[in-house]
Amino acid sequence: MNHGSQEFRLHHHVNQLMSQLGASSAEGPGVYVDLLQRNMTPYISTQITAHRAKKKIAESSKTPVEFLQKYDELKSRNVRDLDSLTNLLSLIAEDEQHFGASLTPATSMIGQLPATGSKITSDELEKIKAELMKNTKQTSSAMSAETQSKSLKEKQSRNMNLPVQPDWLFQRPFLTMDFVEEKELFDPNVTPAGSLLIQQQESMVIDDLLCCMEGVEGQYIQAVSHSDRYSQKEFKVDESLDPALRELVRRILPISANYSLVVRFIEEKSAFEYGLNYTVLVAQLENQFRVGHLSLQKFWFYLQPMMSMMEILASIARSINKGECIGGAVLSLLHEKTSSLIGDNKGQELCLFLTQAACVPYFEILERWIYKGLIVDPYSEFLVEENSVVGKEKLQEDYNDSYPFGMHYTICRERVPVFLETVAQKILSTGKYLNVVRQCGRNVQCPNAEEMIYTIKERDYFEHIERAYTYASQLLLELLIKEKELMSRLRSVKHYFLLDHGDFIVQFMDMADEEMAKTMDEIMPQRLESLLELALRTSTANADPFKDDLKVDLLGYDLVTMLFKVLSIETKLEKDFHVDPTDLHLSGLEAFTFDYIVKWPVSLVLNRKSLIRYQMLFRHLFYCKHVERQLCNVWITNKSSKIFKLQSAYTSGYALRQRMLNFVLNFQYYMMVEVIEPNWVLFENNLQSVSTIDDVLANHSDFLNNCLKDCMLTDPELLRIVHKLMMVCVTFSNFIQLTKMSSLQGSVKGRKDDPLKKETATKVVQEHLDQIASSHKLEGTIATFDSNFRRLLVDLLNKIVERASGCDLKLLNILYRLDFNHFYDSQLESVSAERSTQESRAEHEQRKYQDHDAHDAR
Amino acid sequence: MPREIISIQMGQCGNQIGMEFWKQLCAEHGINPEGILEDYATEGMDRKDVFFYQADDEHYIPRAVLLDLEPRVINGIMNSSYGKLFNPENIYMSKDGGGAGNNWAQGYHSGERLYEEVFDIIDREADGSDSLEGFVLCHSIAGGTGSGMGSYMLEKLNDRFPKKLIQTYSVFPSHDEISDVVVQPYNSLLTMKRLTQFADCVVVLDNTALHKIACERLHLENPTFQQVNQLVSTVMSVSTATLRYPGYMHNDLISLIASLIPTPRLHFLMTGYTPLTTDSQVASTVRKTTVLDVMRRLLQPQNMMVSTPVHRHAQHCYISILNIIQGEVDPTQVHKSLQRIRERKLAQFIPWGPAGIQVALSRKSPYVQSAHKVNGLMLANHTSISALFERCVQQYDKLRKREAFLDQFRKTEMFKDSLDEFDDSREVLAQLIDEYDKATKPDYINWCSQQASPS
Repeated sequence: MNHGSQEFRLHHHVNQLMSQLGASSAEGPGVYVDLLQRNMTPYISTQITAHRAKKKIAESSKTPVEFLQKYDELKSRNVRDLDSLTNLLSLIAEDEQHFGASLTPATSMIGQLPATGSKITSDELEKIKAELMKNTKQTSSAMSAETQSKSLKEKQSRNMNLPVQPDWLFQRPFLTMDFVEEKELFDPNVTPAGSLLIQQQESMVIDDLLCCMEGVEGQYIQAVSHSDRYSQKEFKVDESLDPALRELVRRILPISANYSLVVRFIEEKSAFEYGLNYTVLVAQLENQFRVGHLSLQKFWFYLQPMMSMMEILASIARSINKGECIGGAVLSLLHEKTSSLIGDNKGQELCLFLTQAACVPYFEILERWIYKGLIVDPYSEFLVEENSVVGKEKLQEDYNDSYPFGMHYTICRERVPVFLETVAQKILSTGKYLNVVRQCGRNVQCPNAEEMIYTIKERDYFEHIERAYTYASQLLLELLIKEKELMSRLRSVKHYFLLDHGDFIVQFMDMADEEMAKTMDEIMPQRLESLLELALRTSTANADPFKDDLKVDLLGYDLVTMLFKVLSIETKLEKDFHVDPTDLHLSGLEAFTFDYIVKWPVSLVLNRKSLIRYQMLFRHLFYCKHVERQLCNVWITNKSSKIFKLQSAYTSGYALRQRMLNFVLNFQYYMMVEVIEPNWVLFENNLQSVSTIDDVLANHSDFLNNCLKDCMLTDPELLRIVHKLMMVCVTFSNFIQLTKMSSLQGSVKGRKDDPLKKETATKVVQEHLDQIASSHKLEGTIATFDSNFRRLLVDLLNKIVERASGCDLKLLNILYRLDFNHFYDSQLESVSAERSTQESRAEHEQRKYQDHDAHDAR
Repeated sequence: MPREIISIQMGQCGNQIGMEFWKQLCAEHGINPEGILEDYATEGMDRKDVFFYQADDEHYIPRAVLLDLEPRVINGIMNSSYGKLFNPENIYMSKDGGGAGNNWAQGYHSGERLYEEVFDIIDREADGSDSLEGFVLCHSIAGGTGSGMGSYMLEKLNDRFPKKLIQTYSVFPSHDEISDVVVQPYNSLLTMKRLTQFADCVVVLDNTALHKIACERLHLENPTFQQVNQLVSTVMSVSTATLRYPGYMHNDLISLIASLIPTPRLHFLMTGYTPLTTDSQVASTVRKTTVLDVMRRLLQPQNMMVSTPVHRHAQHCYISILNIIQGEVDPTQVHKSLQRIRERKLAQFIPWGPAGIQVALSRKSPYVQSAHKVNGLMLANHTSISALFERCVQQYDKLRKREAFLDQFRKTEMFKDSLDEFDDSREVLAQLIDEYDKATKPDYINWCSQQASPS
């Protein structure tokens, strides 16, 4: 969905919520929409606002402590969007205070939030919010909350189709570098430490400690088993040990505890599910462990720097465990850690090393993506997600997809490492572009594909990404514009859909007149198709190399219905304007449209959605052309009457026909020359300077939207009037043609009877015409047409003036064109005068009332 | 299947301006005098088939019929480099070279006599085109062949092709120099009747104004026939430009004509063209041409190719205007210019219906170099054209009062018994003048109705 419709949806949701809450909040829905929108653009909500919001919720909540706990927990789990959610909740809470409702369900809802791994996109956020609001209203939170969390869980478990580690893996008691879980206590055979000499004791303890550090219980130091796999190990030291020694040992022991944790972490995570290369980490660790030496004091001394490192490692491992992070999230965590250790040189070095090591597989994926446009990501760690449902073919089918090109690959925000946040969009586009190029069967060879290494300075790999991006966008653009001749494609589409080479359409209409007059069911599409081909070959369109891609299509609904259909995608208007298809007997003319075969990858730009818009424009213009032709036919029928002295049974008809023709021509001129052509020129110029395919798409869609807007195709009310006006014109032409036909038949008969007596023949015609003229029926009918046309036209002009009041609207040009000699001025004035008198009368009445009231009050 | 147009050129004048027209068309479409496409003419975005068709050997042949009652002009054409351009079967000239003797009636009766032969040619041409839109007639109204035979052709064309359009480019005689044709007022009057009744659209080319333009605007001391005719061919080629270089609108003759002519009889159009230069002058007089300049100059009387009295009646007004603008034109400029003209009321329009300046934007030929970025042709339906007809009637009345030169006419079939045809024609023309006059009034439509209802 594009931005606009999202905005609309938001408004809709919020409005509904508000009404459900019976809210009469001073801020109105606008504030919420605003807020939601801000939240949807990520990372806007700052720490400060989050903090403030947190406090506010805590204040209003009945269980502030719980809430804060929950918040901290979530925060520590690195849940994305937490801040924006809190923000939102706080605002709701503020309102809640007015309603006096309880916020407990809300806070409990936070509790229901899933762990980090799941994706809380802005959409879901919105959903949660909606749910929340409902809950606060109904206070029957339990049930819906359950379903809510269930649905979220389902989402979470989507990626879990990887091989699962069997349970025994966790229970195998000896297959680990960690402490083996044994129930035995101290070996009774071991001499109690106290009975030994201090020196002996010391060496024993060191031995034990070294063992401990490698995950083996010693004689005097033993691990206490515990149930939770992730909790810190505790140790039991032989009571009889010398107190001084014991103290030292106590201080050293956390390192082995941390070691244990790290080891366990490594063991588990090196399994399939966590594709990152943690073994590198082990090597590093083991290296470090060789450091241990001799005396316990010395040991302690040496170990001290190690201790802190181990601590860091352990804390990292802990938080990773806690948050169940994978892929990008791990990297984010590491990155944050690295940045936070700015002061601690060694620690930072370590972290940097870790991060670099951890980044290797991730960056490999990244390189593949931005240099080749491929995703090889079996563990779904990468920030770009492939949406395989939206295939290449899909691009031509569903026109509700506003942006199918964008749907195929999406950014999964949870997986974006923090340090790539700013370039995530670029990474996505780069790969996307290359992907398209690949799909066109071209090999992608990025000239400056260099290996990327993580550094704390972002600039280095940003440069790589930037270069890759420039290359990819240029490559695709070149492919489209040079090889696939995008511009000539677009120009060709313009010829046919926007009628810029009118001779072709005139020719086609000439040939297809008969066929078009039939109703839709009677038309043979093949016949139209062959007529089209003939018209293409014999007009200037013949010079167009793409002419064979043009096809005919008959749609089962007229333009107005089509408009509502398209509009209803974004609004709920359709219901109001639903037309029963059985009521419609569409003529071929109304059902007719062109279609255009677009092949990948040009269909990126000329996708279904833009073709639909072209079709709408075409049908609009096509119908105008048809009306013009009908009126011209009337002109031709009328022309013979100038021979006769009596020229004016039809004079009022001439005048009306002239007004109609004037309208249709000016309307066409406005749409073609004042709307489409300038917009096209602008579009063409813009395309000279675009650098990415997304820019091309944006410009193209702007071009079409502007055309639609200025041709009134986005304004159902105006379009209805225009349509009715055209209908009046067509019925009028048909009527005149019919009457004329009957009179001409008379003259032909007269002539055939006696070709030599032409004089009498004309006399016959003349009498016939006199007859018609004298019959009030004809004049009456024309007068009816006249008044209908006048009413509608004035209505249209008025509506345009209304819409244009205050702003410089292009539609106003129609008024200037139609009313060039101020012919309609007086009529418009009279209408507006009428309105203003009505208004002033109403005002007057009101004032009288007020006076009256005031008088009464006195 | 284009909307083909067959052009018929008659008499000395008609053949002369017709020839200039074809020269111009050939140049614009990159066709050489033998009908063969030039090597450089590769751009396929023009429509040659409206006015040309292709022979078996691919060379282009004009859809033209050349008629004359004396061989001099046509022989000239045949001996020129363009001699091979035309289909020889489409040329009819009486070999004896008698001509019509500058007598309308003689021309008319010659037409009658040659009816079969001439219409064989025309029918063949008409059959050769898939969706014939109409005929374009080139002639003068003063001489014998163009006016007399032209009148007859008008009647017959209208009879035979009632659904086809008939447009004429009619040259009106100079009034301030003494004509070598003394019976010119008679000829004009009789032709005017046919133009009123049988033509659908008459583009009036006033020799007086053409000479004046040649002298004053082009600064030629003694403009030659050819120089004047070049003006005419420019008008003719530009007015057909939208048919030959299709754009968004005005891609057939009817769409050009229909909006210009609201009521059937008021179908006499004036033309104006700017900027005007001759070949030799181009270098010195290149001006900056903007759309507004062009559109404003088109409204100035000195650029009009019809001379109407300087003391214009205040109430005379435009019934309709179509400006064909060629060149690189920004549509927003057109809009601005129209706004300016509207605000400053540079043009007066009829009060009885909506009217305005229609603009048709057209491409230029890529093969003909022009010193100006923008040029424009105005086709206007203006009520003051009636002044020209008044002059016609006045000159006729002068002659008729003296009963001068009537003998030549009495010798002919039509005037053998009576001169009723003169009176009838005069009445038709008077009515036309009256109608133009009434068209300046708000109640024109009502007036028409009253005229219609028997009183």
